[in-house]
Amino acid sequence: MNKEKLKLKIIYVATIAAMIVVLTLFAGFFAPNDPYATSAEGIRMAPSFSYPFGTDNLGRCVFSRVLYGGRTTIGMTFLLVAIAFVIGTFVGMICGYFGGWLDRFLMRIADVTLAFPQMVIAIAVAGILGGGLWGVLLALGITMWVSFARLARSHTYSLKSQPYISAAILSGKSDFYILTKHILPNILAPLLTNALTQIGVTMIGISGLSFLGIGVQAPMAEWGQMIAEARAYIQIAPWAVLFPALAIAITIIVFNYLGDLIMDYREL
Amino acid sequence: MSEVMLEGKKLHKSFSDKNGQILAVNNVSFSLEEGEFLGIVGESGSGKSTLLRMMAGLEEVDGGNLYYQHTDYTGDAAKNTGRFLQMIFQDAYASFDPRMKMRDSVMEGVKRKNLKDTSEEKEVEKRLLDLMSGLGLDDSLLEKRPKELSGGQCQRMSILRALLSGAKILLCDEITSALDVVTQNQICKLLQRIGRESNVSIIFVSHDIALVSKFCTKMLVMHEGQVVEEGSTSDVIASPKHPYTRQLISCSRGLSL
Repeated sequence: MNKEKLKLKIIYVATIAAMIVVLTLFAGFFAPNDPYATSAEGIRMAPSFSYPFGTDNLGRCVFSRVLYGGRTTIGMTFLLVAIAFVIGTFVGMICGYFGGWLDRFLMRIADVTLAFPQMVIAIAVAGILGGGLWGVLLALGITMWVSFARLARSHTYSLKSQPYISAAILSGKSDFYILTKHILPNILAPLLTNALTQIGVTMIGISGLSFLGIGVQAPMAEWGQMIAEARAYIQIAPWAVLFPALAIAITIIVFNYLGDLIMDYREL
Repeated sequence: MSEVMLEGKKLHKSFSDKNGQILAVNNVSFSLEEGEFLGIVGESGSGKSTLLRMMAGLEEVDGGNLYYQHTDYTGDAAKNTGRFLQMIFQDAYASFDPRMKMRDSVMEGVKRKNLKDTSEEKEVEKRLLDLMSGLGLDDSLLEKRPKELSGGQCQRMSILRALLSGAKILLCDEITSALDVVTQNQICKLLQRIGRESNVSIIFVSHDIALVSKFCTKMLVMHEGQVVEEGSTSDVIASPKHPYTRQLISCSRGLSL
């Protein structure tokens, strides 16, 4: 595929991604109803004009809840990826640049973390912490920094032997200067691409934990938690499961696709 | 007799790999006088680049000593050796941060002096522009990034950066091997002129004995980590003693025994 076509495609997909973010971020503006208002008369109503995605078991507007739930899921995802990005990049750069015992020590910790499936650790940690927003962040964050750290380390390591780094050292520049002015800007692109692909994984993680009941707690709207709640009456009101599930699927596909496209673009 | 700028005595360096220890630099001594143009010749893997990196403090010295104007600086980090020597690398493009403008890259060495007042800043700017025209570089190149320059321009920029930092010694590591023959000649002539005019001493590492013999006044021939021959260029070319030197000369174009 040629580069211009790919660029156009990236712009399209990025626009969709931006739309999803804006829609959920300003959920208060776009939501037609209060996501937490229950109504005894309007239980499990099919989609209509005033309730586009129908209502759930407590008569709450599913559309509004999907928007507000997106704010929780996407907001937490971004926060978590950002924290993992910063910590992982910092650790990776230090390891790759200085090497030595600190590098060996931190990378062995990373290896041990990688030895367990991410979701298993997350379930264990979230279970011990008893759920809740911060429990989920910690449970998923414990393993997430590793991918950033390894990536940052390998890129830093290969950059370190570049002549322009040697030239900067010979110019009397400090390690801090070299790391921030020469290395960080040059390893940022692959790290940001990794961040994009991590968004999908993290979303599945957050929604998955909430679905299992050890993530975000009711009545707070969150996609996984909404599915878990509504699955009991899926035969009567399938829309209460369908729409949050669709929201998860679409969001993850869009962000993963965007990450893949950008990765392809960078390789061209 | 002019002053000795850089001196190495019985330098050793070994690397370990899966086949055991490899002696990259084995008992090498050399001396470089003020304004001298010293060539180091040898094939790939002969240890000449390692030797150069040791001089710059970019590679640890396993044994032996290094002196700058008779002061021992063995074991000094490259951060400090940069005060009196600068290195110019084989890959001119990789010698500059691809994301930085040439101006920021070449000024890196100068900024250590903390340019506080504007008069000093102006002086540096003037020196920069003087050097630019002296090296045959257009001022507009300063606002460009390395990718937008030609290989020759980029290599001149490296030389500019080294000179701007006030270094008295230039260590050139195969700096012309990626350039075409015409540019190769221009760069070497330029170095020769710089050496004469600004009293800068130059060590020129190359595998091309013909090129070295054309420009350098003195030369060392390295083979498997050892110096097998040294002396003035004319002597070495006219009567090589070591069979390896003879082989090098007979294999190169433009030189004959």
